[in-house]
Amino acid sequence: MEYFISQIVNGICQGSIYALMAIGYSVIVGVVGFATFTHGEVIIMGAFAAYYAFQFIGSIHFALGIVAAFAASWLVGIFVYKICYEHFFEAPRHIALICTIAISILLKNLMQIVFGAARKPMINIIKNKIYTFGMIQITKVQIIIMLTVVLLSVLLLLVFKKTRWGVSLRAISQDKSGAAIIGVNVKRNALLGNCIGSGLAGVAGFLIAISYAILYPSMGSTFGMKALTASVLGGLTSIPLAAIGGLIIGLIENIGITFTSATYRDIFAFAFLMIMLLIRPQGFASKKGGRP
Amino acid sequence: MNHVGKKMAELSMTVREFYEKYKKIILAAGVILCILLPFFIQSGYMNGIFCRILFYGTMAGALNVINGYSGQMCLGVAGFFAIGSYTEAILSTRFGLSMWACILLSGVISMLFGVILALPAKRLSGIYLSIITLGFSEVIRVVCLNWTGLTGGTSGIKDIPAPTLFGFVFSRPRHYFYIFLVLGILFLICTKRVVNSRIGRAWMSVREDELAARSLGVESGIYKITAFMYGTFWIGVIGAVYAPYVSFIDSTLFSLDTGWNVLAMLIIGGQGTLAGPMVGSVVINALTEVLRSFGDWRMVIYALLILVVMWVRPQGIAGASNSVLAGVKRKKESGEKTGEEAEQ
Amino acid sequence: MSVLLEAKNVSKHFGGLKAVNDVSMNINKGEIFGIIGPNGAGKTTFFNVCSGIYAPTSGGIALEGKDISGFAPEKIARLGMARTFQNIQLFKYMTVLENVKIGFHIKTKTKMFDALLKTKKYREDEKLADEKGMQLLEYLGLEKLAATRAGNLAYGMQRKVEIARALATDPHILLLDEPAAGMNPNETVSLSEFIKKINGDGYTVAVIEHDMKFVMRTCHRIMVLNFGEKICEGTPETVQQDKLVNEAYFGEGRIARGEVMADGNA
Repeated sequence: MEYFISQIVNGICQGSIYALMAIGYSVIVGVVGFATFTHGEVIIMGAFAAYYAFQFIGSIHFALGIVAAFAASWLVGIFVYKICYEHFFEAPRHIALICTIAISILLKNLMQIVFGAARKPMINIIKNKIYTFGMIQITKVQIIIMLTVVLLSVLLLLVFKKTRWGVSLRAISQDKSGAAIIGVNVKRNALLGNCIGSGLAGVAGFLIAISYAILYPSMGSTFGMKALTASVLGGLTSIPLAAIGGLIIGLIENIGITFTSATYRDIFAFAFLMIMLLIRPQGFASKKGGRP
Repeated sequence: MNHVGKKMAELSMTVREFYEKYKKIILAAGVILCILLPFFIQSGYMNGIFCRILFYGTMAGALNVINGYSGQMCLGVAGFFAIGSYTEAILSTRFGLSMWACILLSGVISMLFGVILALPAKRLSGIYLSIITLGFSEVIRVVCLNWTGLTGGTSGIKDIPAPTLFGFVFSRPRHYFYIFLVLGILFLICTKRVVNSRIGRAWMSVREDELAARSLGVESGIYKITAFMYGTFWIGVIGAVYAPYVSFIDSTLFSLDTGWNVLAMLIIGGQGTLAGPMVGSVVINALTEVLRSFGDWRMVIYALLILVVMWVRPQGIAGASNSVLAGVKRKKESGEKTGEEAEQ
Repeated sequence: MSVLLEAKNVSKHFGGLKAVNDVSMNINKGEIFGIIGPNGAGKTTFFNVCSGIYAPTSGGIALEGKDISGFAPEKIARLGMARTFQNIQLFKYMTVLENVKIGFHIKTKTKMFDALLKTKKYREDEKLADEKGMQLLEYLGLEKLAATRAGNLAYGMQRKVEIARALATDPHILLLDEPAAGMNPNETVSLSEFIKKINGDGYTVAVIEHDMKFVMRTCHRIMVLNFGEKICEGTPETVQQDKLVNEAYFGEGRIARGEVMADGNA
């Protein structure tokens, strides 16, 4: 029973990281309008950026890690946008998709060349402590991770709801040509959206590195898939639903492995997604009314 | 960059004209050359490459029926490939079934999975279907990795018996070359017939404009499923020969990277044409061999190549020009198209 | 005269929007039936309900006495209804002949097995599609364009090809959604002749149109929709004299009532 409860706590913590990745994913799909397969690499890029920032700057402040991860992934976001999306808005959709797959292969292998393929232990930046509340045990790292995710999500919501940027982003995610007519610069905002989404993914990568205390270039693809799955569960473009999707996947995985072996971990998400899509093809999102 | 694109388009036009003119001679010469190839080049290494070109090419061709002709987006080749291979491996090691019988069985089993997967294709569109197939591929791989009782788990299946024919044992790459060659040619002939029939036209009409196709009485759902069945059958067939060819299989052979590889061949070669996947397979396999000396940089160059092809010639080297797949060149029209799709 | 297509109290609502509200009509065998109305009157939605793209919110559609409401478009096509689209939906990267050959889908029977083995059925079907396709193109005067890519044709020609493709299904009734949109006056006149010609050859035609002159010249009977509701139905003369129709089109007033116009013309 205690094991079960601790798995739920782990699930929520991991789910919150997935949620952050999925939010990033949904921002990208919503604003840019294309699905991406580069997300996993962007995530790990963030982790590596934080890792090297700690090494070169010497400080091991948590905020430095977040800033470094966010900034590096932001830059990768620009790069991805310029190559995969900017020229292909009008083209058949599979072209952009293939480009993101190519970029994913490119980044993964470049990272292996530059950073080395071996597993690196992540610098221990938080003195871990275990808090016990009745039957629930939770570590300091888990608390910090969850707080970070909540903080960033709230921040993102504020940006989307309260700022001019946010209004433009929401406008182009709903109707690109309509937004263009009222004078929103679609391409610049799509770039911005892609960067925000990538930046969030980078931060998620940093959190992963902390929580697993390890990082290596090829770990990204699994997480990219998790982000994709969570985002699809939420109907691909909805931010709050993507977050819920991420949480659910984290929970399902961690509860699932209490019943089976841990090696099956990665298929719970997919299996759940496939069943979900068979029942509700549009994910959690309610079916949009009106004319198709 | 446009200039390069134009040059390439012209080049492909002249190649195509030349081909149309001497079609029979070229095809016959090609087949004879293929048959003679292992006699001139005896090294196992080179014959291994030829085998790879053939089976990857056929697999890309089978994927082409799903992605190219019927315009869906299946990303789960590796899963079907695994199903075909494991079916053969299990049946031949456990029950001593001959590979020749397994070829059909593998194809059929892979096809059954294809139908199950394609059933939601009637309702799901675009990206959702892609993700289901992708998830399917991963689920199959993880199951193969963990269901030790059936698949051997991490230790895989060893010593898959080599097929024999009238006492002749297929043991070397150049022997398998002929099996893959026959399958490849058979596949091309079958596919050519199907594509040029009512069924092929229905596939293409669904790809070009589903609503218009339906209003003409084309049961788009059924035809999407048929395309899935046809493609996955052939992927399973190739998997069945692949298992004894490598004689040892485990789940690492069927990772997503394998799927991306086949997809890249299809896309680079060109979707929606018969020659495209084979061309793509030749280019990619030759290139990966040439680049072997670059070590780690190989995959980087490989990725860059895909990007360059997408930028310069998005429909692929031998891609269909009579399709919405042709893409960027006719920006306006395809723009309308994607606009409509987005609305739906 | 037997009723070919019958709509009984058909409504189609999108959320709160009543795009089509309680419309009933009968199209008789052998006639040219026009549907007119101002922009946004629900004409195309009504067609989409008839041809199965939308299921009606309430009410029913019957084709030759058989209830088809809620059927899928492909099923309705098989039962003998063909249509064209307001924004031409040709397979624009394919040639004209290929477009028409896809139209023969329901007239041919080739199965996977036949195609793989090149059976007699396959050869017959291919021959039928090729020959009948060319015949159809000749019938419409498009034979010279058979090998042209459909998307490269002029607008008026594309409309004709779309009609040819619809005719390939050998329909009992043909629905044309704004066939004259974007045509110049000459093209419109020839289109009108063309519709009369295919009607004379035994096809029943229903046509949505904006162009009043065109409709008055072409159709035997006309139904007028406004804000999703039927406001009038009858021969061109009846419709022309109907007060509600004039109000719908021109608003109220002396001009609308035709007093000034009549004077001016006289």
